[in-house]
Amino acid sequence: MLAALLIAAFSQSIDSTPPPRPPRTVAIDERLAADAGIHVGDRLLLTPTPGGDVGSAGSGDSVIVSALVRRRADPSEVARAEYRVRMHLDELQALIGYGDRVDRFAVSARGTAGTDSALRRINDAAFGFRAYRSRDIAVETSRTFLVVSRFHRAIGVITIVASAIFLLCIMLLKVDERRRDVAALRLMGISARSIVRSVMVEAALVAVVGSAVGVGLGWLSSQIINWHYRGVYRTPLAFAVVTPGIVLLAVSLSLALGLIAGFVAAQRLVHMSPLELLSGRREERSPAAAATAG
Amino acid sequence: MSDVVMKASDLRREYHMGGELVRAVRGVTLEIARGDYVAIVGPSGCGKSTLLNLLGGIDRPTTGSVTIEGSRIDQLSDAAATRFRLHHIGFVFQRFYLMPALTAIENIELPMAEAKIPRDKRVRRGRELLAYVGLEARYGHRPAQLSGGEQQRVAIARALANKPQLLLADEPTGELDAKTGTEMIELLAQVNRDGTTIVVVTHDEDLAGAAHRVVHMRDGVVVDDRRQR
Ligand SMILES: Nc1ncnc2c1ncn2[C@@H]1O[C@H](COP(=O)(O)OP(=O)(O)OP(=O)(O)O)[C@@H](O)[C@H]1O
Ligand SMILES: [Mg+2]
Repeated sequence: MLAALLIAAFSQSIDSTPPPRPPRTVAIDERLAADAGIHVGDRLLLTPTPGGDVGSAGSGDSVIVSALVRRRADPSEVARAEYRVRMHLDELQALIGYGDRVDRFAVSARGTAGTDSALRRINDAAFGFRAYRSRDIAVETSRTFLVVSRFHRAIGVITIVASAIFLLCIMLLKVDERRRDVAALRLMGISARSIVRSVMVEAALVAVVGSAVGVGLGWLSSQIINWHYRGVYRTPLAFAVVTPGIVLLAVSLSLALGLIAGFVAAQRLVHMSPLELLSGRREERSPAAAATAG
Repeated sequence: MSDVVMKASDLRREYHMGGELVRAVRGVTLEIARGDYVAIVGPSGCGKSTLLNLLGGIDRPTTGSVTIEGSRIDQLSDAAATRFRLHHIGFVFQRFYLMPALTAIENIELPMAEAKIPRDKRVRRGRELLAYVGLEARYGHRPAQLSGGEQQRVAIARALANKPQLLLADEPTGELDAKTGTEMIELLAQVNRDGTTIVVVTHDEDLAGAAHRVVHMRDGVVVDDRRQR
């Protein structure tokens, strides 16, 4: 039950044995407090085994809850369902009768310079263990998440490219619908360039409005996803985020693809003569046509 | 300035249709004087529209030449011919071809915008032209809100936007009833009186009757060309 305890070693608990002591304190998981109805100031009985008796010597201890610990937004902790209790190291050792052994302990220092020198000195003196900077451990443990997030980005880019192809199809249909209008514009003297430009502007507008709506929907669904999973896993972790970088990537990618789609669609119009556009029949060009003079 | 605004010499236009040669225009020579009003008439399929398209630089002759205001428009590149049409030729078609999404005045502004005329001037001229064709109150209406005759008036105003020397019209009364057709004939006569040279292709005898000169075509050639006033 206490197998996966994370031990916070406070500086005073590393000191030598204390004088006559007041009741010891523990910090418990906020979720445990909520589930078991425990409040700060409550007195708890700690035993090494479930239902253990405080009477038998060294097998239990009466402690006061002095703090509730909220889970950090650490992706590697999200799926862990067990409760955690923080207690003084000596007390833990006494409780489980496990002597002078810990799996891990954390040391906190003020400022990065302190961290560096502490790290160096610990590793110089260490025998059979090693100290790491918590930031490095965080990077190590969240590597999976980096891969997952790259994967998500790839899916996002593929989605945008697919919707650009969709946009191209829409633009092709639209310009086909407007063949007669465009032919009339060309007859009036509107240049092919102006026509290409206006089709591209239209496609770009569709792309930008579409990606703005997409960003809005993305933001909304990220709120819903976060609200849902924060409830499920009881963590402040953000499961989905819409960052300015993502917005910029999405909008600029779809804008560029929109412009390309508009350009491609417009080419179909301007490569036909206005008369061909109006009549719908393409003239058969034969080399004899130019040579024939009769 | 010469008083010949347009000259066509031995124009021919042939199409290849499924291996067969269609001779739509087979040798037309025509001079059109500045300020003239010319109607081209003849049976269906005799090559009237093909000739008008050649005269307007919309289509290229197989052989022969078209000169407008001293420019050989049959030799212009597509882009240059488009540009030439913008400034020198106005077109009116049987089917109006107004942009459905734009209002009447916006339709008229289109060729002016392409000619880089500043917005305030465009709006002013657009209003003048709408008043000229008798539609000043309808400037904010879209084509769908206008009758056929009103749409054709807007199309004429649009064709005149860049003050072209030449107005070419292909069956401008073709889709109109008799009454609006008569109004259209009056409007075109007015445009001609105000100085624009007009060439119109038509089956409409009243419209042809309003022209100063009538060119009869048959099988791709001019068979009669006479001045009636
Ligand atoms: N793009 C084309 N390809 C092949 N043949 C064509 C094309 N355009 C016109 N023609 C042919 O050229 C001939 C003349 O056509 P045109 O449209 O000039 O006649 P039109 O005198 O204007 O007839 P209408 O009075 O019915 O409008 C017709 O036989 C027509 O089928
Ligand atoms: Mg015709």
